[in-house]
Amino acid sequence: MKKRVIVACGGAVATSTVAANKVAELCAESGVDIEIVQCRVSEISSHADGAVLIVATSKVSKDYGIPFVSGMPFISGVGVDKARQAILDALKSE
Amino acid sequence: MIIERLDPSRIRVGMAGTSRDDLLRELGTALVEGGLCKESYPEALVGREAQSPTGIDMDGFGIAIPHTDVSHVLSPGIAVGIPASPVRFTAMGTDDEFVDARIVCALAIDDPGAHLDFIEALLAVLRDRATLESLAAAGTAGEVMDIIRAKEEAAS
Repeated sequence: MKKRVIVACGGAVATSTVAANKVAELCAESGVDIEIVQCRVSEISSHADGAVLIVATSKVSKDYGIPFVSGMPFISGVGVDKARQAILDALKSE
Repeated sequence: MIIERLDPSRIRVGMAGTSRDDLLRELGTALVEGGLCKESYPEALVGREAQSPTGIDMDGFGIAIPHTDVSHVLSPGIAVGIPASPVRFTAMGTDDEFVDARIVCALAIDDPGAHLDFIEALLAVLRDRATLESLAAAGTAGEVMDIIRAKEEAAS
């Protein structure tokens, strides 16, 4: 079954699109079958049911009880390897 | 290539004494005057920045990529502002960390999925420290165009 990953930012316009693309590439390379839901941070709660991971470029102050990985490395280019590993670790432990 | 989305009329160098919001308004107005955004865009940009900040620490070099909802945009483009002295933005993904931005790129995006290449191309230019330093030191809009064109030609 596909694992649902939420990729969120402030407005679902620019940065979550970049991050979602990177997450999709990573999972395709690594053979992890995922379904990405791209949304605003304010909309996470309506998509969180069944999701296994949240990647966001905006602050997520609420705890949804699933792992969170910052998507900022995919924007700044700093710490990309670490973020990729954190995402894979979170998906594998599910 | 983002050079195709740039125009000297939407590049402001040496922006002096501007607050963050005034800087956003000025770049937003340049996009409106260029016919890329609706009249509502500049204030929407200011409001969105307060809610979802866009400052980015590019490995020690501060930039910001303000943008707002697609409903305020007519066609994709970018406006570039180089403030005379750094302007403080809240860091993206936080509400309590700050970035002193030396380069501000206001994005007009009307279809995120279709413009991923454009956003990625912009980030590719901005991820290069030498290019950032050159841009921050640029004295004219023409120089900004030349630096970005050279960077993109070298990468292609």
